[in-house]
Amino acid sequence: MSDPVTIIMIEDDEGHARLIERNIRRSGVNNAIVPFTNGTAAVDYLFGKDGTAADRKGQALLILLDLNLPDMTGIDILKRVKENKFLKSTPVVVLTTTDDSQEIKRCYELGCNVYITKPVNYESFANAIRQLGLFFSVIQVPPAL
Amino acid sequence: MLTAISRRRTALQILLLSAGFVVLVAVSVASVLLVNKAREDNALVVHTIEVENQISNLLLEVRRAESAARAYLLTRWPRFLEEHDAAVANVAPYVDQLARLTADNPPQVANIGKLRTATAERLEQFRREMEFLKQNEPDNATALVREAAASSSDASIRDVAASMRAEEERLFAQRTLTADKTQVLASSVTIAGSCMVLALAGFSIFLLRGSSRARDDAEAKLRDVNVTLETTVDERTADLREANEEIQRFAYIVSHDLRSPLVNIMGFTSELEELRGDIFKRIASLNRAASPAPAMPDDATDTAEPELEGADKQLSEDFNESLGFIKSSIAKMDRLISAILNLTREGRREFKPERIDIRELIEGIVRTVAHQASEANATINVGVLPALVSDRLALEQIFSNLIDNALKYLKDGVPGEISIGGRTKLGFAIFEVADNGRGIDPKDHQRIFDLFRRAGTQDKPGQGIGLAHVRALVRRLGGTMSVASELHNGSTFTITLPIKWTGKHRDKES
Repeated sequence: MSDPVTIIMIEDDEGHARLIERNIRRSGVNNAIVPFTNGTAAVDYLFGKDGTAADRKGQALLILLDLNLPDMTGIDILKRVKENKFLKSTPVVVLTTTDDSQEIKRCYELGCNVYITKPVNYESFANAIRQLGLFFSVIQVPPAL
Repeated sequence: MLTAISRRRTALQILLLSAGFVVLVAVSVASVLLVNKAREDNALVVHTIEVENQISNLLLEVRRAESAARAYLLTRWPRFLEEHDAAVANVAPYVDQLARLTADNPPQVANIGKLRTATAERLEQFRREMEFLKQNEPDNATALVREAAASSSDASIRDVAASMRAEEERLFAQRTLTADKTQVLASSVTIAGSCMVLALAGFSIFLLRGSSRARDDAEAKLRDVNVTLETTVDERTADLREANEEIQRFAYIVSHDLRSPLVNIMGFTSELEELRGDIFKRIASLNRAASPAPAMPDDATDTAEPELEGADKQLSEDFNESLGFIKSSIAKMDRLISAILNLTREGRREFKPERIDIRELIEGIVRTVAHQASEANATINVGVLPALVSDRLALEQIFSNLIDNALKYLKDGVPGEISIGGRTKLGFAIFEVADNGRGIDPKDHQRIFDLFRRAGTQDKPGQGIGLAHVRALVRRLGGTMSVASELHNGSTFTITLPIKWTGKHRDKES
């Protein structure tokens, strides 16, 4: 992964965020990770004060998204990202505890690139995140328009 | 309240009917009696007329005898003598007949006595007149006629006849009056009875109309109540459905939200475990550095467990033990949460009714557990099973759970025998899964169907979910299930399912 790619991690559970970060680092990914613990802050960052995401123009981003947020559902964020002309080509990885098939289907329909269910078994969890890190290291992220 | 009124009304009806009947009988009896009385009265009237007739006849005969005697006296024609004799011969029988007719009336009897004397006297005069004529003494006979005309016997006959006639006139008037009265009475009784019957009938009709109106009202009320009841049942069903959905959602959300912290606990426990490795490696290397013994090469500690001694070793073991308990507890909790999640997911799954050959389905299950069965030294017999219209996946889960359980809880050292049988009854199919396993204590029969509850010796892995799940599925398929078993004597699980399940009952989606 080329260095300028910033990983936006939207995860309300700080423990999960920490575990994810650690395991990504362990897989050798050293890109900047910007963590958000609620949807509002993440939306403010992504879309700016005017809501157009003009600030993010030209930045290479990768969004790691949890669906169960305290203030909104991750689906809303996913929808807005995929509808925004500057952000729509940004890869979104949904990483959540929900394994409801309807929800998975809906996320893919909305344009999510990868959907990962958090395994409770830590070995699998760590493994999944590390593989995700490996995936990040080879993925080509297009710069936002 | 309603029934009391209607009962009173019915009693009144019966009372009215019986009253009408009694009146009719009374009227009939009275009519018969009065008609008889009227006939008797009429007979008496006729009798009176007869008596009068007889008196007239008698007087006529006496006059005839008298006029024939006078004619004979004048003409001496034997024809007048014959006529006189015939008339005289009639007088005595007429008097007798009159006596017979009036025997019931004392004044008439006295009159008859007088009449008899007077007629006898008169007849004696006739006899003497004839006697004189036969002896050819017409003068004597004429004198006798003159004497007779002047004598009292003729007048007395007239008087007695007149008094008898007067008596009979009186009787006639009295008896006519009585007969009239009787007739009037008879007709009044009939009219009064008819009026009463009519009145009773009218009242009865009035009551009938009243009760039929009451019945109509009650029917209308019943219809209303039925409609209300249906609405109430629908409302309750909707409430229950909502409550059930609420519980499902609740279970789903709770289990999801419980999962999140569990990921952290598990994750950081694993982190701790790694830290532990690092810490004890450090301790070991520090110990080694402090001890005079030659240090081991640094790179060796990466793979091998650091060698610890004494208190440090104890510390490490305690650490390991604590981590082990935490991890096994987390694993158990994870299994429970997964189980709840699976159950709620099952509860939300839409069932699709289709035609299923149960025997084929169960044989499929038996094939998948064949290895398990041969390990447990068990045989599975599948009997003749009825076909069903139901949800295939649910039935697979039901039967594979039961067969799994039967295989799991066999008696040690006894070859297992599991049999699956079925029959149909009144639109339901009844399946029995029987084994000769360790059995279940009757006091646990209810408990085994509860979530996370198990019974008997806990020597097999399991979360206590299978039977709870099976029962939930059976209920959703509109059926019931029960167990018959005692400890050490095997168990029989009985499942009753509708043969044609349409998905309409109990299923919230439809």
